[in-house]
Amino acid sequence: MDLSEQDASFRYTVDALDHAVVAASSDVAVRIVRTDEIDALGDGVVIGPGSPYRDAAAAEDVIRTAREKGLPLVGT
Amino acid sequence: MLVEHARNVMGIEAASHAEYGGAGVPVVSLLSCSLVESEIEISITPGTRLAQLHPRESRRIERTHCNYGLSPDFAHIASAGGMRIAAVDDTGEVRAVERSGHAFFLGTLYQPQRTSSPEHPHPVWTSFVRAVQG
Repeated sequence: MDLSEQDASFRYTVDALDHAVVAASSDVAVRIVRTDEIDALGDGVVIGPGSPYRDAAAAEDVIRTAREKGLPLVGT
Repeated sequence: MLVEHARNVMGIEAASHAEYGGAGVPVVSLLSCSLVESEIEISITPGTRLAQLHPRESRRIERTHCNYGLSPDFAHIASAGGMRIAAVDDTGEVRAVERSGHAFFLGTLYQPQRTSSPEHPHPVWTSFVRAVQG
């Protein structure tokens, strides 16, 4: 997610994931990564709001990997 | 998600997102009506994963914050190549897609995060987290 931490969409996204982790009694850790700084993927991917992305090709590669490998993915 | 699907599944190699400008086939294009800071009523497709997430609602209000969506000229790709339409809005435009045969692969042209709260976490996110947890 490339949005600044002050952007409302950024905050909504992080907060909603926090709500979900608590509600699901999960120990899933959320890591925010800019599209031009993607290194390794976790066990699931959120393609957050805020296009145009800094690195659209990298975002697309992540989506392709999630599709092909069966990683859970939400794009909003 | 739609551009990736168009390029790598549907074989539209020049598929592009209009927001980036340049050449190509704009599969994602500027909406005829901006949905920045808007509310829309979506109609959820029965039998989809999204319908499972909202078992008591065939329609619901969601909040949006975008200006781009699937081009009407390419509406057909949302229900081809393993993708299916999970929700449309009152104008019939696609608002959510998902992949069948995938653990959890959902794209929304609304922001389910905007209607989540600690007291009422949005089912999209709780289900996603559970899918990640495995």
